Amino acid sequence: MKTTIKFVSLLVIILFIGCKPETQFFWGNYSKTLYDYKKNPDDKTLAEHKKSLTEIILQSSKKHKPVPPGVYAELGYLTVREGNETEGNEYFKKEMLYYPESKVFIEKLLNELHPGESK
Amino acid sequence: MKYFIALIVIALAGCNPSVTKEEFSPEMYKEHPLSILVLPPINRSTAADAKDYYLTTVAEPLTNTGYYVFPIEIVTDILKQEGLSDTESMVNVPPQKFREFFDADAVLYVSILKWNTSYLITSGSVTVQLECELKSTRTGSTLWYYNDEISVSTTGDNGGAGGWAGLLIQAATTALKTATTDYVPIAKDVNTKLFLAMPFGKYNKEYNLDMKKRIELKKKSTAEVNSSKK
Repeated sequence: MKTTIKFVSLLVIILFIGCKPETQFFWGNYSKTLYDYKKNPDDKTLAEHKKSLTEIILQSSKKHKPVPPGVYAELGYLTVREGNETEGNEYFKKEMLYYPESKVFIEKLLNELHPGESK
Repeated sequence: MKYFIALIVIALAGCNPSVTKEEFSPEMYKEHPLSILVLPPINRSTAADAKDYYLTTVAEPLTNTGYYVFPIEIVTDILKQEGLSDTESMVNVPPQKFREFFDADAVLYVSILKWNTSYLITSGSVTVQLECELKSTRTGSTLWYYNDEISVSTTGDNGGAGGWAGLLIQAATTALKTATTDYVPIAKDVNTKLFLAMPFGKYNKEYNLDMKKRIELKKKSTAEVNSSKK
């Protein structure tokens, strides 16, 4: 029975691969570049992952889709950590603008990233 | 052939008890959580990499299900700074705390039960089994849970050759394919499959329209989690 279930789930997966429905958000190569970066964190894999984040933003607007939750925040986080605060903060603002439910979290994060700075 | 497969699928789907999403997780339709905080998974499988594969592939299917998912990379960093890098200790944190810290509506706890690569000379496969539980940060109670498993074949082909030569070629291509399998899409597939059973969130077109959708009935079993600990 167990092998039958395995076999059938495999078949179901094969069937499903053939007809991918249009998804709400476009995520591009996100998982792949993030995994590569986590496995070998260096300048090259980081640059690749940043590129995949900017590509998501670019392609989303081309496809008339909203930028997925968290993408602006993650790009902002990486940018600030590289020392580019002004640019990073712009991304954080966009995350809060498109996803107001992130406001409390992002504001706390900004306080941590720039301690001593008053809002 | 395709019809035949479809028939098997339909026939077997009929065997499993099914429920509507609303019957299965009524609290979801009452509370309507908007944002989900994903905690690093508890890895009960033998694969050391499983955690990273899970964490890098969960945001995409979960946002497509319709939820605001807090940026996982940042959350993981913050939890680490708070001394909560080990997931077992996080299980003891009351869910309400995550509302205080992150303003999250719900928290997703994940256990990776299986991440097996089996390799039998001429055939290979990867099996992934996950268990998820979504808890409310308002009440601390369970809003939704599910567990599922998928298997993906990594069996190579025989290059069209028959007999012993064909088997040898197949054994070689299977070994290569099993060793170089890209697990990212497999992890993504199992996540996608799981979240299909979750009531859709605000950012999905079917938000509030999926109450009558039938899903396979799953029982929350802590016994299963414990038994796979070995």
